[in-house]
Amino acid sequence: MTVKQRYLRVVHGLFIVFLLIQLIPDKLTTETYAGYAIWFVIGVEVLTLIISALIKKPASLNLFVDIVAFIYGLLIAWTLATAKFSILKPALFPPPGKVFWQAVEDYDKILVNIQSSVGIILQGYLLAIIIAVPLGLFLGWSARLGGAATYISKFLGAIPPIVYIPYGIALLPTFRSVSVFVIFLATFWPVLGGTMSGVMNVEKKTIDSAKVLNVNRFTMLFSIMLPASLQQIFIGCNQGLTVSFVLLTSAEMIGAQSGLGYYIKNYSDFGDYTRTIVGLIVVGIVIVIISFIFNRIQKFLLRWKV
Amino acid sequence: MSKIEISHLTVDYVEKKKSFTALKDVSFKIEEGEFVSIIGSSGCGKSTLLSILEGINSPTAGEILIDGEPIRGTGTDRGVVFQHYSLFPWMTARKNVAFGIKQVNKEASRSERLKIADEFLEKVGLEQFKNKYPSQLSGGMQQRVAIARALAMDTDILLMDEPFGAIDAKNRTILQELLLELWEGDGTKTRKTVVFVTHDIDEAILLSDRIVMMTANPGQVFREIDVPFERPRNRGQLVQTKEYTNFRNKLLALFYSDIAEKIGGEEVVL
Repeated sequence: MTVKQRYLRVVHGLFIVFLLIQLIPDKLTTETYAGYAIWFVIGVEVLTLIISALIKKPASLNLFVDIVAFIYGLLIAWTLATAKFSILKPALFPPPGKVFWQAVEDYDKILVNIQSSVGIILQGYLLAIIIAVPLGLFLGWSARLGGAATYISKFLGAIPPIVYIPYGIALLPTFRSVSVFVIFLATFWPVLGGTMSGVMNVEKKTIDSAKVLNVNRFTMLFSIMLPASLQQIFIGCNQGLTVSFVLLTSAEMIGAQSGLGYYIKNYSDFGDYTRTIVGLIVVGIVIVIISFIFNRIQKFLLRWKV
Repeated sequence: MSKIEISHLTVDYVEKKKSFTALKDVSFKIEEGEFVSIIGSSGCGKSTLLSILEGINSPTAGEILIDGEPIRGTGTDRGVVFQHYSLFPWMTARKNVAFGIKQVNKEASRSERLKIADEFLEKVGLEQFKNKYPSQLSGGMQQRVAIARALAMDTDILLMDEPFGAIDAKNRTILQELLLELWEGDGTKTRKTVVFVTHDIDEAILLSDRIVMMTANPGQVFREIDVPFERPRNRGQLVQTKEYTNFRNKLLALFYSDIAEKIGGEEVVL
């Protein structure tokens, strides 16, 4: 890529536009914390320039700068509609600077809530995968040989995990344990189903190749069936992850004393919409980061695929 | 005692409530260290026969004895190379070979297995590609890895089911010569017993000590022919001799006499 292709981009124009609109006098009478928004955008711009210099593929660079351009566009519109012209209701739509200020103020509180939510998800999610994958390999292998396992797991998997909540509350002592339990179930069935169908769809030729090498049952399941059905296991894991987040944040809004769902619900109850927006953004960022890590793991483990 | 003794082997398949006989009363023997090719047109049951030798399928009647013992499923005494999909796509070439070694040699440590794997990959000329996945290798290279694995496992018997059937002509020639070279060795070690399924007459002549010609519907042994050429063989020299041409013509005549018989007989019923 030439220097022109690399750096002459709309996104940097938007960056300048964002700085220029700061010169328009505020219409909003309350504190707008414009400095926080400006510093945030400068930070993003510096990062964008660094990453632009490092990215090798033009397509990846296009994608990346488009995302940043979208963020700038949103911030420009947001600033104009709130601080500068006060078109939107200030109580419901705080200016961006105020949201960034609030995020900085609440930094440690947010971190604790992220920790609580992510901790619960990881616990339920990983536990489900650790149990569902070997079980799915075993049941899928038996189902290949003819068995009822498929039908049983289809029936149990058809029950939406959220309906287990009341029973879970009766069964388990704390909100945390109920959440882990529900996330466990939300992940368990899709992963089990994915693993089983993965095993059942492994080509006979692959199995024959393994058989003629005289592999024992354990090796057949974990060295052959597991990698051969990995793609479908990941489909199950992905589904489990999505449902887990929906379930947990909903549950936190109903019954928790901590977590990101609780943070959002609690402050919106008090009419603190600045913090509500902070919460929404944080939830978005956390999910994006987790999906990113998940995709990386998936890509790495399936690197042998064409 | 013969290394492999196939006696009165019959295999019936039931498909859509119709049963058909893939193999009917097939009997022949293979001696230790012998390279035997099984040739025949498609549907003659040659691959079925091999799958029973592999231990993947079992016969309806009859049995196969190896060293006097009847076959019960797959065994560590047999190495197999298929036409396709022999390799596991999630393992690198090196890991594929090492995985095969692990199944027959449980005592070897990981580093010992990898060392043997490297050694055999070098023999098939793939030392530079050892860390590639099968999807990154050409079909010919994949078969080289499969051969390296089968040889590295060091089994008494090698079963090969049209291993070069899907390879282009030029690479097929190279692979045949490689196999010949590796199998013939330097004459110091006992050669492996090989059962090689093919439909390529030249391939069969070049490689084998004996050719078992099969006929279809139902699969039966048609002729057993000894290949009279001295070893070590050299393709370039061999194909130029008159003996080779004569032998080849004789085989072709036999091959087509069988087909002509079939066409003249039961198949032309319009």
